[in-house]
Amino acid sequence: MLTMHNVGKIYQTDSVQTHALRDFSLTVNEGEFIAVTGPSGSGKTTFLNIAGLLEPFTSGQYTLDGIDIGGLSDNQRADIRNQKIGYIFQGFNLIPDLNIYENVEVPLRYRGVPAKERKVRILECLEQVGLASRARHLPQQLSGGQQQRVAIARALAGKPRFLLADEPTGNLDTLMARQVMELLEEINQNGATIVMVTHDPELARRAPRNIQVVDGELADLTFYQGKPATSASAPEKSAHESVVGG
Amino acid sequence: MFLHYIDLSIRSIKSTPVISVLMVFAIAIGIGLTMTSLSVFHMMSMDPIPHKSQAIHFPQLNIMDEGGEWHTDDNIPYQLTYQDAINLYNADADFPRSPSFRSGFSVHLNTPDVKPTMEPARLVYQEFFSIFERPFIFGAPWSKEEQQSKPYVVVISESINNRLFNGQNSVGKSIYLDNKSYRIVGVVEDWDHHIKYYDLNNGAFNSPEKLYVPFSIAPLEEIGTWGNTNGWKHETLNGYQSLLQSELVWVQFWVQLNTAAEKEAFSALIMAYMEDQQSKGRFNRDNLQYALRNVTQWLKYNQVVSEDNRILVGLSFMFLLVCVANILGLLLAKFLKRAPEVGVRRALGASKKHIFAQHIVEVSVIGLAGGILGIVIAQLGLWGVRTTNRYYEALATMDVSMLLAAPTIALMASFIAGLYPAWLVCRTQPAIYLKSQ
Repeated sequence: MLTMHNVGKIYQTDSVQTHALRDFSLTVNEGEFIAVTGPSGSGKTTFLNIAGLLEPFTSGQYTLDGIDIGGLSDNQRADIRNQKIGYIFQGFNLIPDLNIYENVEVPLRYRGVPAKERKVRILECLEQVGLASRARHLPQQLSGGQQQRVAIARALAGKPRFLLADEPTGNLDTLMARQVMELLEEINQNGATIVMVTHDPELARRAPRNIQVVDGELADLTFYQGKPATSASAPEKSAHESVVGG
Repeated sequence: MFLHYIDLSIRSIKSTPVISVLMVFAIAIGIGLTMTSLSVFHMMSMDPIPHKSQAIHFPQLNIMDEGGEWHTDDNIPYQLTYQDAINLYNADADFPRSPSFRSGFSVHLNTPDVKPTMEPARLVYQEFFSIFERPFIFGAPWSKEEQQSKPYVVVISESINNRLFNGQNSVGKSIYLDNKSYRIVGVVEDWDHHIKYYDLNNGAFNSPEKLYVPFSIAPLEEIGTWGNTNGWKHETLNGYQSLLQSELVWVQFWVQLNTAAEKEAFSALIMAYMEDQQSKGRFNRDNLQYALRNVTQWLKYNQVVSEDNRILVGLSFMFLLVCVANILGLLLAKFLKRAPEVGVRRALGASKKHIFAQHIVEVSVIGLAGGILGIVIAQLGLWGVRTTNRYYEALATMDVSMLLAAPTIALMASFIAGLYPAWLVCRTQPAIYLKSQ
């Protein structure tokens, strides 16, 4: 499904080069549910953004579903984002001017799905997250947990094969977080591949596979089921920085 | 998708009412001022008789002796002497033509019921009506015979007919012009022109005459011109007859020449006439000189659209440019504030093209609203021009083309203003905003 080989990402300013990812190699198989952990600034989100085609990488090779991402144009990457990938963000990222129904509709519109089919899919997804009755509400009229469920419905509406979640429970209380996690597990059981970045060791423990990112590198690959997460105690480190010409 | 973008635009406008209203007003004021000056310019510069402007011609003769100077570009007087006008009319040729000048009469019915009014009149020969295609409501132009031997006939305008005869067919009835009775032979529609192209000598934007009497009345009633009379040498005039025989220019002349061959033939006629006159002691100059301009050339020659008008239009467009610059600033602020939402849309599959189109449609909606409001402001501006200067009454109006031009220019202006902000926002890198939202 996803193969990264020696992927690197450097953020460059006039005087500073920051290596956010270095020689990052990873293979994610179809139907996997992976939790990505690591200290703040370790490169988890950069990895997720590159995996989700939200930003380009500097070096290495990345193949998604058999497509070499490195050579794609901006528009081609937008198409792949739209058709193959679903996103769930920590801050929900719902569009405040649009109601719940319309928020879920956004990716479908860009995909050119006909109105009738859009309606069926939207209601189906809202039903799945238990918010069909709130379809005409605005995001600000919902609780944080409900907003995240809307974001999940939006991610599911396009029937993506690959779901990326960046701290999906970061802004939620324990109960809400558990509900969202159960939803993600259900989605995974239905066949979607999920990569979830989290700080929460309990959530990470529920994922069948954990990886840890430290200093922009894949520090540890852990295959386990029901084992305690080792990444929870990883030290807080920032990404490696070096001064150009300094 | 286009309708969806319009829907998003309206929501966006509603969600930022102050900035949106500011933009609409900025474009409306720019369009209002631009369309006010452009409408007047358009009316001034439009072809007054498009299907015939190339056929109707105005001849000019250089009547001055060698060394004489006139203030026109080509040193030729822009009117004719009475004798030249009559001679050219009576020349043996088949081209419809007519001398003409503006005068006026006290019009009444010689009854105590109707108050006399002073009305401008045009003295013409019968061909004038066909050359300028004046449509008759009742009757017809006077005949050749009438204009030669029974010239006390008149064609009145619709407005005079309405006032004196309640709009009934007045052909055959009589009215008094000064103290003479004239038989009405026809009623023509009021001449609703923007440019008085057939008599620029009396002001290019003056109102049309409401009466037409035969040119042959002039010597009989010693009718003076209400227009300019100019000369190139000192002449002592002893009464009206000496005016008719003088070298003073005060008569306009129009001839219809449908083809290049006809124009050539009439040019030859003019040259032959000038040579003949030279042999009789006039036109004492080495090179005989004449001009024959069609309506379009005549308007240009007389500088109906002055440089001032062009500068005014230029200035109003510069003002619109200032408005566009202000809108650009407001749009930048508005669109960049929306970058996080754009980031989400980009993450969800929107291409740069989608984002660009969404924002350009929003700008266009603002531009269209500004254009419509601009038409209202332009109407107010034109009303102001009409009420403060009656001379421009017929010009200070918007025709259909200007009504369509207003939203088109507004759309173009807003498009120009929106190009950079839309381009900037469509380049939003989604990853930057998703975490920070």
